[in-house]
Amino acid sequence: MAMQGGARRLLGRLVQGLGPASEQTFGGAFGAQNFINGELGTAGSRNASQLAVKNRMKSVKNIQKITKAMKMVAASKLRRAQEQLEKTRSIWQPFTALLGDAPATVAEKSLTITVSSDKGLCGGINSTAVKYTRAYKRWLDQHDVTAVAENPKPLVDIAVLGEKGKAQLQRDLSKSLVLTAVDYSRVGINFSLVCEMIDQIMKEKEYDVYRVIFNRFASTISFQPTVATVLSATTLQDQLEGGGSLEEYEFEGTENGAAEVLQDLSEFHLASVLYNGLVENATSEQGARMSAMDSSTRNASEVLEKLTLNYNRSRQAAITTELIEIISGAAALEAGND
Amino acid sequence: MSTAAAAPFWRTAGFTYLRYANTCATMVRSCLKEPYKSQVAAREGYSYKLVKWDNGTQQKAVVHESEAAAH
Repeated sequence: MAMQGGARRLLGRLVQGLGPASEQTFGGAFGAQNFINGELGTAGSRNASQLAVKNRMKSVKNIQKITKAMKMVAASKLRRAQEQLEKTRSIWQPFTALLGDAPATVAEKSLTITVSSDKGLCGGINSTAVKYTRAYKRWLDQHDVTAVAENPKPLVDIAVLGEKGKAQLQRDLSKSLVLTAVDYSRVGINFSLVCEMIDQIMKEKEYDVYRVIFNRFASTISFQPTVATVLSATTLQDQLEGGGSLEEYEFEGTENGAAEVLQDLSEFHLASVLYNGLVENATSEQGARMSAMDSSTRNASEVLEKLTLNYNRSRQAAITTELIEIISGAAALEAGND
Repeated sequence: MSTAAAAPFWRTAGFTYLRYANTCATMVRSCLKEPYKSQVAAREGYSYKLVKWDNGTQQKAVVHESEAAAH
């Protein structure tokens, strides 16, 4: 009994010093406990570790706020991108109906155009595009094109659109790069941009086959890495003479026959495929960013929960230890007085 | 037959079909009246940084920008 009385007296003195103002700040019933924790803790050793945990909690909370905001931004951008996407799909579809898709075409000179994003934090879409680019490069390098050219090794060049793809590909395939375009999404993706870019590419060198690698947007959580193949005018001409699907058509209105039309057709085909690729990739980027930010927000909640539990447990343990110390100290004092 | 006669001209001038089509589109856009003119203006603006590579080394970056985006 004497032991309990001593403890009450000591605690009573502490609570008296608390005052009404502090009581409000710490809030009602937990006032005394918090007071012990705060006032006595500053000098004690236990607060150093608890302070670290508290700071950690604060930073996790801030990161969570940022990822949540990024998710909201991505969601609103996604909606806009999806609207644009619907419109671009109808541009390339007639081409595929007319010319078919020939992804396995091996030619003397080919160019792979890899579409990636300018900004990161969007899951694995850029790595996927890069992986496909590497795989295609490897696959084409193995081919012997003696049948169509004097030089048995095919020329496989790469053009990269977007900062992230460039950063990855310039490490090991810099020798194959012909040009890279970054920062393209700042003003917006439109057909004028695509025309400009292809104009620059065509000024550099002529190729027999163009391949556009991008992430097709299937749904917010699913993106399909896609390779679209565009044949150049000369390759189309060869196909026409060799009895391809174009043979059924007649070409009129030009003095030079099909050649001139095919040149325009091939360029426009490449532009519409690339335009669609850029928009598909931009939509996938927003979708991937949205789900990536969603999962990191959820992850932050989990971390925060664990940290809070840890923090409270160690705080409670410290309080218990201190109470025991006080009580046993008081008991010793009482015992000495008796 | 005007198209057949005109086609070789821009091509001999070094234009690709896309450049020609783009120039025509810009012309048509600039002929529009308000409010349509400002509505379609967004389809014209572009900006990107082009880097050419020569045997594994980066050349100087050049910013390509449409007139509409530069202002």
